[in-house]
Amino acid sequence: MPCRRSLLALVAVFGSLSSLEAAPPATAAPVDFVRDVQPILTQHCVKCHGPAKEESGLRVDSAAAMLTGGYSGAAIVPGKSAESILIQVVTGKGDLSPMPPKGPKLSAAEVAVLAKWIDSGAAAPKEAPPVARTATNASSHWAYQPVKVAAPPTVRNEAWVRNPIDRYILAKLEAAGLAPSPEAEKPVLVRRLYLDLLGLLPSPAEVDAYVYDNAPGAYERLVDRLLASPHYGERWGRHWLDAARYADSNGYTIDSGRSIWKYRDWVIDALNADKPFDQFSIEQIAGDMLPDATQDQKIATGFHRNTLVNEEGGTDKEQFRVEAVVDRVSTVSTVWLGLTVACARCHDHKYDAISQREFYQLFALLNNCEEPTLAFPTAHQSKEEPALLAEVTQVKKRLAEVEKNSPGRQIGWEKIVREELRKLEKSGDAPETLDVLADFIAALDAPEDKRTEAQKTLLAEKFRKNDVERVNLDGQLAELNAKLKKLKLKITTTLVVKEMAKPRESYIHVRGDFLRKGAAVEGGMLAALPPPRLADGARATRLDLARWLVSPENPLTPRVTMNRVWQQYFGTGLVGTENDFGTQGDAPTHPDLLDYLAATFVKGAGKTPWSLKAMHRQIVTSATYRQSSHARPDAAAKDPYNKLLARQSRIRLEAETIRDAGLTASGLLAREIGGPGVYPPQPEGIYAFTQQRKFWPVAEGDDRYRRGLYTYFWRSSPYPFLMTFDAPDANAACTRRIRSNTPLQALTLANDRAFVEMAEALAVRVLKETASNDTDRLAAAFRLCLAREPQAQELATLTQFLKSQRIAAKNEPIAAASRPSPTKSSPSLLAGEGGSTAKADETGEGSISAPIDPDRIAWTAVARVLLNLDEFITRE
Amino acid sequence: MNEQLQSLLRRADRNVTLAQTRRQLFADAGLSLGSIALASMLAREGQAATGTAAESQPAAAVNPLAAKAPHFAPKAKRVIFMFMAGGPSQLELFDHKPKLNELDGQVVPQEFTKGKRFAFIKGTAKLVGTRRTFTKYGQCGMELGETLPHLGEIADDITLIKSMKTDVFNHGPAKLFVNTGSPQFSGRPSMGSWITYGIGSESQDLPGFVVLQSGPRGPRGGSSLWASGFLPTSYQGVPFLSGPEPILNLSNPPGVDQARQGDFFAAVRAMNGQHLEAVGDPEIATRIAAYEMAYRMQSSAPELMDLSDESEATLAMYGATPGKTSFANNCVLARRLIERGTRFVQLYHTDWDHHGNKDTHLGEPLTKICGEIDQPAAALVKDLKQRGLLKDTLVVWSGEFGRTPMGEPRELVGRDHHIDAYSLWMAGGGVKSGYIHGKTDEIGYNTVEDTVHVHDLQATILHLLGLDHLKLTHKFQGRNFRLTDVHGHVVDKILA
Repeated sequence: MPCRRSLLALVAVFGSLSSLEAAPPATAAPVDFVRDVQPILTQHCVKCHGPAKEESGLRVDSAAAMLTGGYSGAAIVPGKSAESILIQVVTGKGDLSPMPPKGPKLSAAEVAVLAKWIDSGAAAPKEAPPVARTATNASSHWAYQPVKVAAPPTVRNEAWVRNPIDRYILAKLEAAGLAPSPEAEKPVLVRRLYLDLLGLLPSPAEVDAYVYDNAPGAYERLVDRLLASPHYGERWGRHWLDAARYADSNGYTIDSGRSIWKYRDWVIDALNADKPFDQFSIEQIAGDMLPDATQDQKIATGFHRNTLVNEEGGTDKEQFRVEAVVDRVSTVSTVWLGLTVACARCHDHKYDAISQREFYQLFALLNNCEEPTLAFPTAHQSKEEPALLAEVTQVKKRLAEVEKNSPGRQIGWEKIVREELRKLEKSGDAPETLDVLADFIAALDAPEDKRTEAQKTLLAEKFRKNDVERVNLDGQLAELNAKLKKLKLKITTTLVVKEMAKPRESYIHVRGDFLRKGAAVEGGMLAALPPPRLADGARATRLDLARWLVSPENPLTPRVTMNRVWQQYFGTGLVGTENDFGTQGDAPTHPDLLDYLAATFVKGAGKTPWSLKAMHRQIVTSATYRQSSHARPDAAAKDPYNKLLARQSRIRLEAETIRDAGLTASGLLAREIGGPGVYPPQPEGIYAFTQQRKFWPVAEGDDRYRRGLYTYFWRSSPYPFLMTFDAPDANAACTRRIRSNTPLQALTLANDRAFVEMAEALAVRVLKETASNDTDRLAAAFRLCLAREPQAQELATLTQFLKSQRIAAKNEPIAAASRPSPTKSSPSLLAGEGGSTAKADETGEGSISAPIDPDRIAWTAVARVLLNLDEFITRE
Repeated sequence: MNEQLQSLLRRADRNVTLAQTRRQLFADAGLSLGSIALASMLAREGQAATGTAAESQPAAAVNPLAAKAPHFAPKAKRVIFMFMAGGPSQLELFDHKPKLNELDGQVVPQEFTKGKRFAFIKGTAKLVGTRRTFTKYGQCGMELGETLPHLGEIADDITLIKSMKTDVFNHGPAKLFVNTGSPQFSGRPSMGSWITYGIGSESQDLPGFVVLQSGPRGPRGGSSLWASGFLPTSYQGVPFLSGPEPILNLSNPPGVDQARQGDFFAAVRAMNGQHLEAVGDPEIATRIAAYEMAYRMQSSAPELMDLSDESEATLAMYGATPGKTSFANNCVLARRLIERGTRFVQLYHTDWDHHGNKDTHLGEPLTKICGEIDQPAAALVKDLKQRGLLKDTLVVWSGEFGRTPMGEPRELVGRDHHIDAYSLWMAGGGVKSGYIHGKTDEIGYNTVEDTVHVHDLQATILHLLGLDHLKLTHKFQGRNFRLTDVHGHVVDKILA
């Protein structure tokens, strides 16, 4: 952002410029740096631009330092005071902020001294170079310190401890005089594990399999089975996609669609395969630069292509390219380092040891990407394309021939045409036609060497248009091209990056404005962290960045990653500010536990280093994780925010998981993994607020019931269900979702057509699959949704409700037919027979007048209630 | 005829009886809707316990939108923001420049354009005088273009700012800038979100921040313009669709009537209540309150949208036709919303992007769009005034930027996007009446007096609502963010 304040200030000081011109002429004596110049600089400038501080990367305590300059480039240009930034800022000229920002301005005489010194060559005695710059970046902040593993603390209640995690937690609880909560009941645990690891509900049979397994190790076996499920990759892949700002469209205003779902599937597959996190990271950041990069490693670099693309007319392309690179710097820093590096885009970080120069060093590493599209033709498509291309070559060749012999054939054509026209003239049949053709006839009649340029062009054009041979070939070519285009549209593609052969020049952008180039920079990492391992003199690349991020010495990546994993299981991270491990962030509640997790992650809990699955296993098998989430009034006073974890947390499910839970309970879920985005039903009227109507062909069949993460995501008008439940907007990395609780959520669960379909399917399922007595059926429905048996009071409430709805349905048999449906295209909730209506066609018409089974109506009402319970959308 | 009536009455009678039967059943189970007192009670407690905007955290647990006290006594209690999407031309509407007409056809002096970037203009461009005539209105003698006669009638009620300035010249980023204080699509909260976050809403059964749309298409930028960003989604703008079902999923599912929907809500409430007792998580109480509000919204929103209780005279004043999607209807709705306690209403009207192509020039297309908005916008101010609402309702009329004094080399007369000077007007809620603020140079290129930057506008709107823009902050990624970024000054001169 150009700083308007400096511009305003500039106007304000304009008056004083004239006084500068009028200043008394400097004395004839030559200016001496030590005697005349240095005192001025020391008095006004060195406090901020000297050994103590290097604001904007600049020091002015020596002539050499001024020549080196800061982020905006050299401060002085010997011989040219007017071009020197130093003079510009002290006089308020140029577009940098006037200096000094506070305190008295330099007098006209002082400015004149500086200007004269520069104009006379800026001579200065030889001096020692200024102290190394990076010294300022050393930081004692906890997050930059190496990961240290101390022996896990001893605790009094040894019996409670299941693994080392519990020692760290219990030690603090005991110190605070708190006891942990009892283990949650078995049905709660199994539902918790399914939701946390797979994002799906367990079936009643799956619940029973665990609940009635009394052999030792039942819990661990369940965990292992879930970690081996391919749905694990979908669940944890979604968390990663939040951070990767994955979406299926370009964003900004036009927001066209894009194809990058192969990247999404890569993430799912990589997590399912438990690809070590260091490799997982390197491939996304720089997979294209690995030796003999595989297709998959290239697909992984789609991570960087999740940036927005502005297609609006009249934009400056470079501006938005730079914007995308800045986003990449910011995303990489947030995702792996948990640092707010983006704050240093316009100036040195106000709180953390990140200079503006360092921001642009990272920028330089990410500034050299070409942005190709990878195509994945099927075997058939692969054959089809060369065949078509060969035909195109053929036709083009023939066209060239036609072109070559055109002049000769044109002469023949002209003769014939003239003949025909003569006949017409003689017949006198069509005088109007001849009038219209007057120019053409005149051209024909003119002798070839006397024709004007216009006449020649006219004849040539007419011939081209009427040359049968050419017209035929043109037609063939157009047809072939159309076929090629169609073929290309069918071929699956994905967006990737590729390192340029020759890197771009990168500069510091003064005040973050890409139009204001400051000092040139080369790629480099953050000095506050251990340095990268580079070959001597080698220029750092994006691949070096990737390797540096996951090097064993880097304390941030494992801490940040483990903290985010922890956050998913407990609602809050050990560091509450999961995206800010800097000095403004929260300190960890359990620093030793965080380091234990980080170290174990890097070394490998069992066999493989950097194994996420091993860490998941360790966390979810801890006693800490297995606690009940019931409120602990006794602990509330001592630990109101449950930071010490004297209980588990109740966590509202994420948007996609709410959908997936509904689909599992109702039995509608289509379990297919991966593939292009899908279009489940959504309410009418979504596109009244977008610049362009979006493509949304409501899916039929299985695609109507796919998991939430496969829903096509238009950035400018996301699927409303997702947004209502706090899915991120995919415009920037999201490392923690908000969990709000709003009336619009209530309306959505109560009335949204996708959820209404689930309610009906659940009702049908219960009626079909369970015995005919109400109590058994209610218990079955309860198990499907909540994985537990109802309490007596709950059963009583639902029984009463069921009865009332049955009476109502019996007494109002024509209800569904007589009431207008609010939107024509909503499928009827109650119409039709059998399970097929749950998958009713989009309009639902035709089924509206079908006979209605009062029992179905009543059970659908019950199903709707269950799907709307707070407990249903909560991981207990 | 009689028979039909009879049968209708019979049916109605039977429905009543059935409903009563069901109510009875519920009462037996301790489930009547009337018994939903807990949540309401909690909501009231939440309200009472809530402190001032500055410390807005835990008490919002039950109803995050409960009204909260601002930082200091406010002049305005609510805002209606008419967003003229596309960038209306100040030179045709508000900023009369006879000198520009004299220089028509001449190349713009280099001193103006040096170092400047535009969306479409490249190289040298020629100045274009306006083809529109201007008239002086009111006691204040406000000069307005010929296409805004109705605005002229309320000239003495408004403040016209001629010295607006913004930073970005593409539509999407510029709209985002006005709404969120940042031109980047990076998840900043919008103005309406900040305001409802700061002072909540007076409405118990309608959203606190509502967005309405008219014109040929939605505004460029989409949902980011009213997003809550890093604030909870409770504060995000709720787009209202035209028609009886303004909110997504507002209607009962097909085949479910009001009585059954009531039964449904009561059952959910009862079950949630039982679970709340079992596990003791206050989040469940919030959920219960949210379901109550949803239930109320189902009746209050259609009632809101139904203009049949508006008098003929009122509708005529706005030029509104019930059942039609128009800016005029949206103006009536805006008044109805704020009457019902909604805090921030934003009306988008597209499309003001008059570059000079066939349908986008400053001739007929400008006349047409002014015709769509002039009467209703003025009527809204008049209507609010006569109902005594104008004094504490702030009305803002603005685009995302203005248009250049230079023309574009296109088919017809048009202008490019301009960020160095544009105009907007405000009325009511603590701003001066019949006042003209700021000046531009003689060709309308730059502001020369009392420049108001977008961040200043934002600071001023918050100030009028009793909010200090420096104090209305939210910590995110280690930093306190605010609507005005790190800028913004309250424009004291326009305060009444």
